[in-house]
Amino acid sequence: MTSKAVLLLLIIACCALGCDGDRVSPSQGGYMFRAPANFPEATYTFNNNPITQEGFELGRFLFYDPILSSDSTVACANCHQQSKSFADPVHRFSKGVNDASGIRNAPAIQNMAFQEQFFWDGGVNHLDFVPINAITNELELHETLANVVNKLARNESYATRFQKAFGTPELNSQKMLFALSQFMAMMVSANARYDHYVRGEGESLTPEELVGMKLFQQKCASCHATDLFTDGTFRNNGLDTDFEKDEGRSRVTEREGDRGKFKVPSLRNAELTAPYMHDGRFNTLEKVLDHYRNAVADSETLDPLLRQGSAMGIVMSEEEKTQIIAFIKTLTDREFITDKRFSAPVVK
Amino acid sequence: MRGIFFSLLFMLELHTRSPERKERLTVLFINLLLTTIMTMSYYSRYILLPLICIVLVACSDDENTAQSGPISLEFDNVVSAANLQLNTDNTPYTNGKGEDFKVTMLSYYVSNIKLKSSDGTIYQDPMASDGSAGYYLIHESDAASQIVTLQNVPKGEYIEVTFTIGVDANQLNQGAQTGALDPVSGFFWSWNSGYIFMALEGVSPVSTEDDHVFQYHIGGYKDDGANQVDNIKTITLSFNGDTAPVRPEHEPEVHLLFDVNKFLNGPGEQVTFSTNASRHSPKPCADLANNISDAFVVDHVHAN
Repeated sequence: MTSKAVLLLLIIACCALGCDGDRVSPSQGGYMFRAPANFPEATYTFNNNPITQEGFELGRFLFYDPILSSDSTVACANCHQQSKSFADPVHRFSKGVNDASGIRNAPAIQNMAFQEQFFWDGGVNHLDFVPINAITNELELHETLANVVNKLARNESYATRFQKAFGTPELNSQKMLFALSQFMAMMVSANARYDHYVRGEGESLTPEELVGMKLFQQKCASCHATDLFTDGTFRNNGLDTDFEKDEGRSRVTEREGDRGKFKVPSLRNAELTAPYMHDGRFNTLEKVLDHYRNAVADSETLDPLLRQGSAMGIVMSEEEKTQIIAFIKTLTDREFITDKRFSAPVVK
Repeated sequence: MRGIFFSLLFMLELHTRSPERKERLTVLFINLLLTTIMTMSYYSRYILLPLICIVLVACSDDENTAQSGPISLEFDNVVSAANLQLNTDNTPYTNGKGEDFKVTMLSYYVSNIKLKSSDGTIYQDPMASDGSAGYYLIHESDAASQIVTLQNVPKGEYIEVTFTIGVDANQLNQGAQTGALDPVSGFFWSWNSGYIFMALEGVSPVSTEDDHVFQYHIGGYKDDGANQVDNIKTITLSFNGDTAPVRPEHEPEVHLLFDVNKFLNGPGEQVTFSTNASRHSPKPCADLANNISDAFVVDHVHAN
């Protein structure tokens, strides 16, 4: 009698602990988010949207699928290409539906899980909301969220993918945005030669690169700080004297004191992400540094760091410029730009 | 002894699992219990079976169903003494500045609803962190959306309601939301992440915008320099001596009015359509948002 009771108890216990609810539990191998040792804490809300292989793969399909645009001609990947760390490889101002273009250069997509303010003016405060802009902007994908959700819901292959990723047949904008976030959050770029070097993983930098690194830390790292190579702030770096064309951050904060300020971009993979600045006005890193040396323009909101007494800009010799650029090139992460997980899916 | 032990385990399971699991476990348990009971002695059977039945009945009810009921809040929109009608052929309404107008759209988010009963207890409408509960998007164009029905409200004599016009900052920081907070609703600024709490659109001959439209989109959820103003408003309204008696099998109704003219002409701002008729960001709407609270009143209550 006692052994029967024990058996019953065991059966009950196994059911109680083993039953993991009503969802099919998606698998997790090889698709776990890992924060690199030399990075700050991730800021993405993984607790609301944990990464799974199915969710990630769904995000990948969506990223490369022009179905998100009004006439099915433009996908995220059109303007965000992996070979250029997901920046635009061709256009200073990317081409949207109907060949439309705007006034700002498409930024790279890398290390998004460590950011909290997105776009050149920081107008979006959560990674989940980032795709909404590209989708609904008439100069980009020129579509409505509702239409995208409807198109996806009517597509059998997507319906299946959503079911696999989220365990329910319900397809809504939240699930779509979650999938895209899972894909983008996984885009961690932290395996450049620089990273292997600072983490003591057997990489060495050339003498020129090492000098360049020291110079970078002295002259550039006050804004391009941490191993993210940006401090995430908004600054006026002296590109113009007036900002009629594009007022930058003040459009979002509605404060005059933010006029002409744009987000400090990460310099990771900068070797690949030309042209530079919010409007892509500089084609080469040399031209960028020449700007800082010789051409910083004054205005009310010019960043104090670019004003040294009466002198403007950053002092550096021609040789130092070369060395700094050599260092910046050590931030190129070839593993990231060739990582098959982020490449275009092969549609069978 | 075994039977009592299993009953206790059963109760534990019920209280720690989701409803669907509850059903499966219940069936499994009943099978196991019956099997166990059938192997027991005659006397044990007749003691245990009633005991188990009592346990099952006691545990199977939700806490609230015996002593709770629904209540509905109707958000009715008016313009001074007239009921609001959208898209009228002419401009039948006049604002505080004597300007004629008509309305083409009025929508607003209601959230964080609380009811206060005569004994001082407060009931809070449950909020889901993913937006699927506790948030209501009221559209004048959709009559069904104007009635918010709360279920399982604890029995009581309710005398006051508090609600928020807006979506709190913490919701934004959670990322993509669903339900009433799904951005497909269109009440979301994609370029300045945040919900549009209240939107009023219409036409007035004095407006200098294209087609003489006016558009007031009010949002802005934190006052930290990034979104310069916090335009979220929390409003408390007493039922003016009436009570809404919540109990099973009845549904009292509280009729609230939102007066467009009080919204346009109040302590914060006296709106003229001739300037600033197109507002699509937090700052220009800060003064206007200060008119929101006074624009809501409780008109009457049906005990039903």
